[in-house]
Amino acid sequence: MYKKKDLSIDFLGIHLDSPFVLSAAPPTDELEIAYNGLKAGWAGVILKTTSVDGNPVNLKYPMMSSFGPMHKKVVGLGNIDLISAYHIDEVERRVKALKEAFPNKMIAASIMGATKEQWQTLVWRLKKAGADLIECSFSCPQGSMGEEPGKMLAQSVEATEKVTRWVKEAAGDTPVLIKITPQVTDIVEVAKAVKRGGADGITASNTVPSLLGIDIKTFEPYPNVFGKGAYSGLSGPAIKPLTLRTISEIAKNVDIVISGNGGAFNWRDAVEFMAVGASNVQFCTLPMHYGFRTIRDLKDGLAHYLMDMGFNSPMDIVGKALPNIESQEELPSPITRAEINEDKCIGCGLCYAACSDGGHLAIEWDSNKRRPHVNEDKCVGCAMCMQVCPIDAIRMKEKIDGQLHYFVEER
Amino acid sequence: MEEIEKTLTKEQALIEAERCLYCYDAPCEKACPAHVPIPEFIQSIRSGDLKGGREIIEEAHPLIESCGRICPEESFCQSACTRAQIDSPIKIRELHRYITDHTDPAENLDLLPADKGKIAIIGGGPAGLACARELRRMGYEPVVFEKKQLGGVPAQEISPTRFPREIEQKEVKFLHQYFITDVKDGKVKSLSEIKGDYKAIFIATGLINELDLDIPGTDLNGVHHAREILRKVKAGNNSGLGKRIGVIGGGNVAVEVASVLMLEDPKRDVEVIYRRGLKELKAFKKEIEEAIDVGVTFQFLAIPKEIKGENGKVSGIVVTRAHLGEPDESGRRHPEPIPNSDFFIPLSDVVIAIGQKASDFFPEVEKDRKGLIKVNDDMMTSVKGVFAGGDIVRGASTVVESVADGKKAAKAIVKFLEGGE
Ligand SMILES: Cc1cc2nc3c(=O)[nH]c(=O)nc-3n(C[C@H](O)[C@H](O)[C@H](O)COP(=O)(O)OP(=O)(O)OC[C@H]3O[C@@H](n4cnc5c(N)ncnc54)[C@H](O)[C@@H]3O)c2cc1C
Ligand SMILES: Cc1cc2nc3c(=O)[nH]c(=O)nc-3n(C[C@H](O)[C@H](O)[C@H](O)COP(=O)(O)O)c2cc1C
Ligand code: SF4
Ligand code: SF4
Ligand code: SF4
Repeated sequence: MYKKKDLSIDFLGIHLDSPFVLSAAPPTDELEIAYNGLKAGWAGVILKTTSVDGNPVNLKYPMMSSFGPMHKKVVGLGNIDLISAYHIDEVERRVKALKEAFPNKMIAASIMGATKEQWQTLVWRLKKAGADLIECSFSCPQGSMGEEPGKMLAQSVEATEKVTRWVKEAAGDTPVLIKITPQVTDIVEVAKAVKRGGADGITASNTVPSLLGIDIKTFEPYPNVFGKGAYSGLSGPAIKPLTLRTISEIAKNVDIVISGNGGAFNWRDAVEFMAVGASNVQFCTLPMHYGFRTIRDLKDGLAHYLMDMGFNSPMDIVGKALPNIESQEELPSPITRAEINEDKCIGCGLCYAACSDGGHLAIEWDSNKRRPHVNEDKCVGCAMCMQVCPIDAIRMKEKIDGQLHYFVEER
Repeated sequence: MEEIEKTLTKEQALIEAERCLYCYDAPCEKACPAHVPIPEFIQSIRSGDLKGGREIIEEAHPLIESCGRICPEESFCQSACTRAQIDSPIKIRELHRYITDHTDPAENLDLLPADKGKIAIIGGGPAGLACARELRRMGYEPVVFEKKQLGGVPAQEISPTRFPREIEQKEVKFLHQYFITDVKDGKVKSLSEIKGDYKAIFIATGLINELDLDIPGTDLNGVHHAREILRKVKAGNNSGLGKRIGVIGGGNVAVEVASVLMLEDPKRDVEVIYRRGLKELKAFKKEIEEAIDVGVTFQFLAIPKEIKGENGKVSGIVVTRAHLGEPDESGRRHPEPIPNSDFFIPLSDVVIAIGQKASDFFPEVEKDRKGLIKVNDDMMTSVKGVFAGGDIVRGASTVVESVADGKKAAKAIVKFLEGGE
């Protein structure tokens, strides 16, 4: 009933009808499920990471765990999954089938090899099958195959460059993305290695190694596999801030196309990923949690945002926030004070507790009226009170030479 | 008169939206007669895309402003909410209202050209408007015949304290501007009056006539019909009633008119006189609470016997005390008069609000005992190509059910004209 804004973009020469793609994970691991995702309106799929025929994939179940408050448990999702149990012969067939059913969607596949020959075989076979793009997993938290199993390829700058070169050599004009891990000492070095290796882009980034929890009576870890557990790859909203940092550091330092991934849960997260340099955004935990129907909010939300902002294309967002991201020492030095909106304050006293025991004793508490008061002489403007206020009644007032600026967190 | 209910604050809306579980195959959506995709619009609140939320609701429900305010949610969506099994149901209607209060009608419409022919719609209330909009979306040219004012009961009668005029206007104007080919003024009494090149007819005239109380004294000066008063007040006029008012009846209309009269003059004494008890009162919970809040009193278990007058003007009413007997055909316990229990309530005015009835218009189509129009599963009357829906078919119902009828009828009309599904 409504005119829909065109959200299409060109991503490494591939037409995407929106920037929203399903990442290499369970939503793309069964042909029928991937098919349903595309039918629901996702712009493309990256089929779950495959390997050469005969490569053993020993999955252990259960493989998921999560953390978060009672009815919103998946703030973070942990998994001990491995790459796909389907091998290249099957994935080849799927690429063909999906391409035939959805000629205007991006049909990509993710791969992992142990040797040059394996990597290149995987690339050639996918290329022949008609894959629009090939993503290489250098970042499965359970470890990569090959020289140093157990370690992630992308944790070694040399290995990253070397394997990227093998892959790109075989891929020719088929675009290649290297999917990296944020779990490295210097993400920029890794991104540079990817660039030197000749890849077309970087997927930043995969899940983050983690341990989801311990049962404190039995001392068994989560997910609990018959009393034992392994480290999980953490995904979902919990890792969004890590991903934002990863994307923006790469974008600021290396001239390479970035596919944003890791923690995006709605269109605003996606806009943030793009604002720090991602050209498109991949999703996994969101559709795994609520289903493919979530694409509607992503697309509608982005469309309305673009119209409100007067942007023509999603690409107009890319990198918009980067000039504002600086090192701490380069930042201006305003005089900052907390400002409490008395009309909004509900008198919980949390700001008082925070400032008394974790700030600068700058908030006075009127116990009769149940109202806090900021002592401007003592307040340094750290913004801890603002973080704990359950009703957003506190903002930070920043002043330089009489010029005012406010820090509020938009919701 | 000001609106009573306040819209949710942003914080309230976000926290309430966060409570929603985003159910799959959502029961709330199924329980909504218009099938508004509830989890989807709640997700737009969470993500901050209120325009998207509006489009989601509007697409399913043309009377988006009405339902955000006056839908009896406890009977529909909220009664099915999964979250109630954990603690309490999501305040779906209030979230719906939050969206409408923060957005304007979506004018970025993408409509087919209107060239498939004219359809006559008699009555521009919720059912008629919904049918018109759906027909226009499918490429037809709806022509609405309206004797009074587009919008039907919500526009003409529902108290401005629950549904302010300017909000109601926003909704109706939008539908008029974009979805209705033409509006013809005037009352239509029979199908033969619809002349011209119409491919089908939809009757949605609602229930306009009010039932009369069958006791002595109803001809006295100071006896009124509830909906006449509501219409007067909605139009911005004073009711002109006195200081001590008895409202006779036990439904939404009785409760509503009592509240309106009380709000009009808080120094008044307004009492609802009802022959059964509180449990049997057939009004939305929220409306009863609001009435009590504004100071309306209730005289339960009181059967009106005779309206008394002096010099042709009402002076009070004689009622008989009742006790509740066995359930009657309405399923509610029947009031039995207690012998020798009559008492007198002095009153300046009596307002009758005991129900509405169908008109005897449209003699061409088959009707039931109560004069309601009979339709088949496709909303078609006994006359081929003539459809009907809303209160004139269901009896007194609700806005959202009438909207559902209008939508269903539009589909059936197109199927009738074009064949297929
Ligand atoms: C006082 C009151 C309060 C209510 N409160 C609520 C509430 O809070 N929530 C809720 O969901 N429902 C409420 N209802 C019920 C709801 O208003 C109705 O169910 C709904 O309006 C019915 O829609 P309709 O389109 O069938 O008829 P109507 O709304 O009655 O509309 C019929 C239209 O047709 C016109 N018309 C009638 N006869 C003719 C004719 N012969 N020729 C041309 N035009 C004609 C009328 O002027 C009117 O515009 C209330 C009803 C009343 C009376
Ligand atoms: C159960 C599970 C299995 C995954 N399997 C793979 C995989 O085989 N290959 C891969 O590159 N990433 C894999 N991922 C990572 C996702 O593709 C994605 O990068 C990650 O979940 C972060 O995005 P998100 O926060 O949107 O979920 C997997 C994630 C999950 C939850
Ligand atoms: S999500 Fe499905 S496959 Fe997985 S454990 Fe539950 S029922 Fe089994
Ligand atoms: S945390 Fe917020 S709501 Fe609580 S007392 Fe402080 S200002 Fe008021
Ligand atoms: S049933 Fe309740 S919790 Fe579930 S989607 Fe509907 S409003 Fe949300």
